[in-house]
Amino acid sequence: MAQSSIQLQAKLMRDYYKDFSKYAKGKAPARKVALVTAFTPVEILEALNISYIYPESYAAVIAASGKEQELLAESERHALCLDCCSYSCCFEGSLISETAPRGLPPKPDVLIATNNQCNTLPNWWNILTQRYQAPLIVLDYPGEIMETEQAYEYVTRQHQDLIVRMEALSGNRLDYELLQECIVNSRASVQAWEILLKLLVKHDIAPTLFFDAVSYLITARCKPETANLYRAMAKELAAAPEADRSKPALFWLGYPLWYHAKRYLPELLEGCRISGSNYLGWWNLDYDGDSWERQMFNAYNYTFLNLRQESTNALLWQCIKDSGAVAAVSLHNKSCKCDFVSARQIEIPQAELEIDMIDREFLDIERARRQIETLLESICTV
Amino acid sequence: MNILSFSGFIPEQICDTVRFISYRGEQRISHYCGYAADYISQVLQDNRYDGAVFPRSCDSSRVISSYLSDCDKFMYQLHIPARQDKLAVQFLAANIRAYQQAVEEHYGIKITDVWERAELLNRRNRLLSDLYDNLADISYSDYLSQLHLLLQKPLKEQRVTADIAAGNGGKKVYLIGSLLGNIDLVKSIELAGLKVVGDRLTESKRLFSAPAVSETGDIYLNIAESMLKNKLSPSQNNFVAILHEDCQEIKTKGIRGVVFITQKFCEPYDYLFSVYKKLLDEQGIPVLRLVLANSAEQRDFNNTLESFAEII
Repeated sequence: MAQSSIQLQAKLMRDYYKDFSKYAKGKAPARKVALVTAFTPVEILEALNISYIYPESYAAVIAASGKEQELLAESERHALCLDCCSYSCCFEGSLISETAPRGLPPKPDVLIATNNQCNTLPNWWNILTQRYQAPLIVLDYPGEIMETEQAYEYVTRQHQDLIVRMEALSGNRLDYELLQECIVNSRASVQAWEILLKLLVKHDIAPTLFFDAVSYLITARCKPETANLYRAMAKELAAAPEADRSKPALFWLGYPLWYHAKRYLPELLEGCRISGSNYLGWWNLDYDGDSWERQMFNAYNYTFLNLRQESTNALLWQCIKDSGAVAAVSLHNKSCKCDFVSARQIEIPQAELEIDMIDREFLDIERARRQIETLLESICTV
Repeated sequence: MNILSFSGFIPEQICDTVRFISYRGEQRISHYCGYAADYISQVLQDNRYDGAVFPRSCDSSRVISSYLSDCDKFMYQLHIPARQDKLAVQFLAANIRAYQQAVEEHYGIKITDVWERAELLNRRNRLLSDLYDNLADISYSDYLSQLHLLLQKPLKEQRVTADIAAGNGGKKVYLIGSLLGNIDLVKSIELAGLKVVGDRLTESKRLFSAPAVSETGDIYLNIAESMLKNKLSPSQNNFVAILHEDCQEIKTKGIRGVVFITQKFCEPYDYLFSVYKKLLDEQGIPVLRLVLANSAEQRDFNNTLESFAEII
C-alpha cells in the first residue's frame, strides 16, 4: 500500500536525525559521518554508506524553533562577527552552548565544503575544522567562468579524488551501480519536485508548505523516498481549490524566513498570493549526461548561484514568467551576497526588503509594510 | 591599455595593471565589502582606466561582474582555486593563459615578454623580501607607502629602494588584514608607540613571498604554482596554514600584540578572526581588531591604539 506524505516525511526525518546527540560527544557512530554543504555531491557519500549532515539546514531548524537570538549572541561572544552568514553564527552558537532543538549533530569524521553556491561556506567549514579537528575537503566548482571541457576535467578529477578519499575513510569500495542508482533517485526527486511546484501556480496553497518540503530535496535528494514523498504530496494537493485569480500573484525572490511560522510575511500580503519563488527552484539540479562523471559535473558545477549573471537573469525571468507573477517581493538577505544580485534585472515592480533568513530582529517590519503597500498600490494602479 | 586590478591574485607576469588601493566611491551596497564597492566605483567612474581584472575568490569579488555588467570596458574575472594541490595548479595555469588571450584579443596586442616579466618579478620580490626582513629597523609607514607607489607603476619602472626612513622603536606588533590603503592608520599605530615588525598584508608579505617562478618548463604552470604556494589569503580556505605560519613568525620575532584590520563585511577575515583570536588568547597575546568601512576610511583610531599599546 502506498504511504501517505506524512508517513514518508516521518521516515525521512527519523533517518536524518537518528544519530543526533547520541554520538555528539565523540562515541563512534555505526557509519562514518561527513558535515557537508547543501550542494555537496552526496550521491558519492550515499553510495559509500557514509552519513551526511547539513549544518545550514540545521541552522534553519534552530531558527524555526525560536532559539536563534541567544545562539547568535553566543557565537558573537566567541568572536564570530554577526556580519557573517547567520546560518554559521546560529550553528556555532549551538555548538558552543551545546543547545539544539533536535540534539547536537554527531562529531564528524570529515568536513566537505563546496563553493558552488557561495565562497562563504568553505570559510565557515574552516572554523568547523578547527573545532572538530577533522580533515577538510574543499570542492572547487568554477561554474561558467571557464570553457566547459576544462571545467569538466577539473571537477571530475576532484570527484574522483573525493571517491578515493572517502573509500579510505569508510573502508568501503564504491559500487558504481549503486552510485548510478543514487543519481537516478536524485533525478527522480528533482522531477517530482518540479511537478509539485507547478501546483503553487495553479492552486490556492500557501508557500509555507513548499518552503518546508524543499528541505528533503536538500537533505535526502538521492533517497528513493523523496520522489515518493513529492508524488504523494502532488496527489494530495491536486484536490486543493484553484488559485483565486482576482488576487495579484507575487514572486517571492529570495530565501524563506526560517524564523517565521509561515516562512514568509502573510501578515503584510493580505489580498495577494505567492505564485513562485526562486529559492524553491535552486535545488532542481540538472543531472544531464550519459555517464556518472558528466551527470555529477552538470548537476554540481551549474547550480543556480554558480552561474553568470546573464544566465541567472534568463533562468530567473523564465521562473517569474512561469509563475504568472505581476510583482516581486525581493529580499536583500544580509547573509547572502550572491543572492543579492539576483533581482537586479527583473522587469516587474518590486519591493526590496532588507532581511536575514535566520535573525528575526533584522527586519524592520514597519518599513517592510510601507514598501509592500507602495508596491501593491503601484500594481493596482497599473 | 590601462587596467585596474583588484587584489593580489592577478598575475603581474602577464601584463601591467594598476593595483586598486583606495577610492572615494559612490557605490554603496548594503552588507557588501566597502573595499570591493569602491573598486566597482572606480572602474565605473574613472575614465583613466579602460579595463578591469578581478578574481573570484570571495563572495564580494564573486559578484563584481554583476555590478559591472553595464560597463563597456574590458572585463576579466580570474577564478582562484579554492584548493592548492597539483590539480588546482593546472586549472589556474589554464585560467592565466585564458586571461592573457583575453587581453591580447581585446587590445589587439601580442604579449611576448611573460618570461622576462617573470624574471623581473623574481628579482623585485627578492629585494622586497630583504626589506621586509629589516622591518625592525625601518619606518613601517614609509615602507608601506613605497609599496603602494610601486604598485601604481609599470613593472619595468618599478624600483625597489632601500632609502626608507629609519623607524622609531616601540612595542613589537604584527599586522594582519587585506590591502591597507590608509597610510594614516599605520602612522597612528606608530604614534601610539607600536612597532610593526611583521605582517600578512596583501601589498606587503603576500606580494613577494611566493616562491620564484621557475625559469624552465611551462611558464603558466610555473606562475600558477608560485601563486598557490604564496602566503595564503583566508579566501583560499586553508586557515590551518595561516595560523601555523603566523604563530611561528609571532613567536620568532618576539611579538607582543596583533593588530587585525578588516574591512566591514569581509567574511574571509571575519571567519579567520574567530579562530585567530582563540589561538592568540591561548598564547596570551593580545589582539586588537579594527574594522574599516571602506577603502578610504579616515576614522581616528588613536585612542583605541593608545589603549592597546598600554595593554601590551
